Amino acid sequence: MTSFTRWLVPLGVAIALAAVPLFLAPYATTTMTRILVFGLLAASLALLVGITGLPSLGHAAYFGVGAYAGGWFAANVSAQAPLSLLVAAVAGGIAAAATGWVAVRSSGVFFLVLTLAIGEIVHQVVESWESVTGGSNGLYGIPATTVGGAPVDDVAPLYWFVLLAFGVGFAALWLVARSPFGRALRGIHDNESRMRALGYPTSLYKYAVFVIAGTVAGLAGGLLAAQQRLVTPEDLGFTTAALALLAVIIGGAGSLWGACVGAALVIVVRDALGPTLDGHGPLLLGVVFILVVYLMPRGVAGIRLRRRPAEPDVAEPEPVPSGGVRR
Amino acid sequence: MDSGSLISRRGILGMVGAAGAAAALSACGSSLGGGSAGGESGGGVKVGLLIPQAGVYTPLGVDMQRGWDLWLKQHGGKLGGMPVTTVVADEGESPQTGVPALQRLIQSDNVDVVVGIVSSSTALGVRDMVTESKKVLMVANAGANDITAAAASPYIWRTSFTNSQVAAAMGEYLAKENPQDSVFLIASDYAAGDEAMAGFKEAFEAGGGKIAGMAKPPFGETQDYQPFLAKIKSSGAKATFCFFAGSEAVTFVKQYRQFGLAKSVPLYGSGFLTEGGVLDAQGDAALGVQTSLHYTSELDNPANQAFRESYEKAYDAVPTVYSVQSWDAANTLDRALRESGSAEGDALSKALGQLGEIDDSPRGPWQFEGQTPKQAFYLRKVVEEDGTLVNSVVAETDPVGQTS
Repeated sequence: MTSFTRWLVPLGVAIALAAVPLFLAPYATTTMTRILVFGLLAASLALLVGITGLPSLGHAAYFGVGAYAGGWFAANVSAQAPLSLLVAAVAGGIAAAATGWVAVRSSGVFFLVLTLAIGEIVHQVVESWESVTGGSNGLYGIPATTVGGAPVDDVAPLYWFVLLAFGVGFAALWLVARSPFGRALRGIHDNESRMRALGYPTSLYKYAVFVIAGTVAGLAGGLLAAQQRLVTPEDLGFTTAALALLAVIIGGAGSLWGACVGAALVIVVRDALGPTLDGHGPLLLGVVFILVVYLMPRGVAGIRLRRRPAEPDVAEPEPVPSGGVRR
Repeated sequence: MDSGSLISRRGILGMVGAAGAAAALSACGSSLGGGSAGGESGGGVKVGLLIPQAGVYTPLGVDMQRGWDLWLKQHGGKLGGMPVTTVVADEGESPQTGVPALQRLIQSDNVDVVVGIVSSSTALGVRDMVTESKKVLMVANAGANDITAAAASPYIWRTSFTNSQVAAAMGEYLAKENPQDSVFLIASDYAAGDEAMAGFKEAFEAGGGKIAGMAKPPFGETQDYQPFLAKIKSSGAKATFCFFAGSEAVTFVKQYRQFGLAKSVPLYGSGFLTEGGVLDAQGDAALGVQTSLHYTSELDNPANQAFRESYEKAYDAVPTVYSVQSWDAANTLDRALRESGSAEGDALSKALGQLGEIDDSPRGPWQFEGQTPKQAFYLRKVVEEDGTLVNSVVAETDPVGQTS
């Protein structure tokens, strides 16, 4: 492959995504918007789960904190374009920084349970902090984001706005994953004790990536507030966290773009097909999950084109029986 | 490492995946030009029925669909003389599913009117979407006060109740009956419970009643109400007023009886405590529980007798307040469409505002006041009749509108 084709595909995908509102009807575009929001959440989780080996069940907490912060800021301070998204990202990062220090000191099933507990605590807080979050009725009446004084409330401009922010968030994740820091994270994933023996401060690295993932999840939350203009406790509840993890698993745990494809599948099944299935939407989601686990144990990213013989894969090495989490 | 080829192979797969997702959406066209296309042509009305078909609220959704279907069946499938197409969408348990489902009805199915919605947060959350689309939403259950108050929209109407209104009816009644007795308040700790508690407290204290104490068990997590029951006992209250729904209503009523409070401190509540399926699950533990609601299947008026008879014949089940709310949604839309001649949002809203009294509802006469019902409430007591438990009517209030 030449470097030309290496860039051609992402560029093609970007152009195709940008052209979506020109060819799809409003509802399909709205669904694509929702996919981008959820895809960014899933990609930020993939950085934790697939690349670092930290399977979090509480990642929706930072998504929700970002969504509430962004929504509250837009409603009470300013709906001017990048501000509420910045507030959301910062809030997600702060929440991750405040809770992550405890979480990253554990690993395996303890990490899973600890993050679950953090998620539940945050969920409880937004349920009861009614004056700010609106309690169980949620935070509603969030104004449309404005760009240069004009509200972004039509389907197509809203999609482009979300796509742009998605691009920024995804690029950040991608750069982190490709950097030397990202390679060290993959090393922690494979064998944490060896990395520690090599002199890497693994706890600090895990803490840093936890905060980065929380920040991007917060940004995704800000996009949710801008897109849906409603934030409810369910958005940061266990179901959201589990669906995000499901999207990561469908995508193939080591891959950022795979997580986005997984998110697309989850959203299409839940939001586009689900309402028409006479109440069998959750059932279909369950069936899809089981099929993926059995038929594609390495997710979408693990599918190999037959054309090439099997080769060693940097992204998906065999699990090493020590330190980190077995998959 | 041959990372170049790795990326491009992934890229190809990504495109395939994206194409597949786009195909699944299978809705081509263009999203430019803003708002969604207008309604159906050809004189028909397309109605989106947004009800829970999965999750804990499914039984309510079933009853709501039955009420809606029955009305249409009895009126030749027409509303206001226009043939009706009903598109059912699953609201699910929360706005996470409810909002996209409503979006689908409005943007993709291009319905003219939306009927349904059980969850208050979904009803509140779709306000801007509904208002911007200029289509009428007839809320057939969700009871948050704000839907027709602080968050009102000219296009959002309601045929059900407000949480405060239901509880206030009981507060006023108890204050009149036993002005000397103090009452203990207990409600699930979430928005609906808070509104019910506030509604009861205000009406009860305005009538000279005294509150012996209050408790808010965590919503959706409390299995054991003993600590709260002990608190009620030690408070010296002469009665308890509560707000619980669904499985919590079953657990609370049963434990209230087991704890031995039912005899000494009678239990009162908002009517959802003993309405529909939960009453069967409570069994004898519910005997003697008194609640307030704007309907009971035992109402003795000709409209209800006819409604109940046809409902039982069609579904082999007793109608509930939920089926009446969607029945009345069909009834009011029928009347309004007759006047407006079109389902266009502004015309239909205007016609709804001029309906006056709805005199043939199974719940008894009522009318819209501020886009939500001004209606009488029934004080109901659970008794056994011919081996089944029913909510029989004890007293009836004057019609009241939304209070807060």
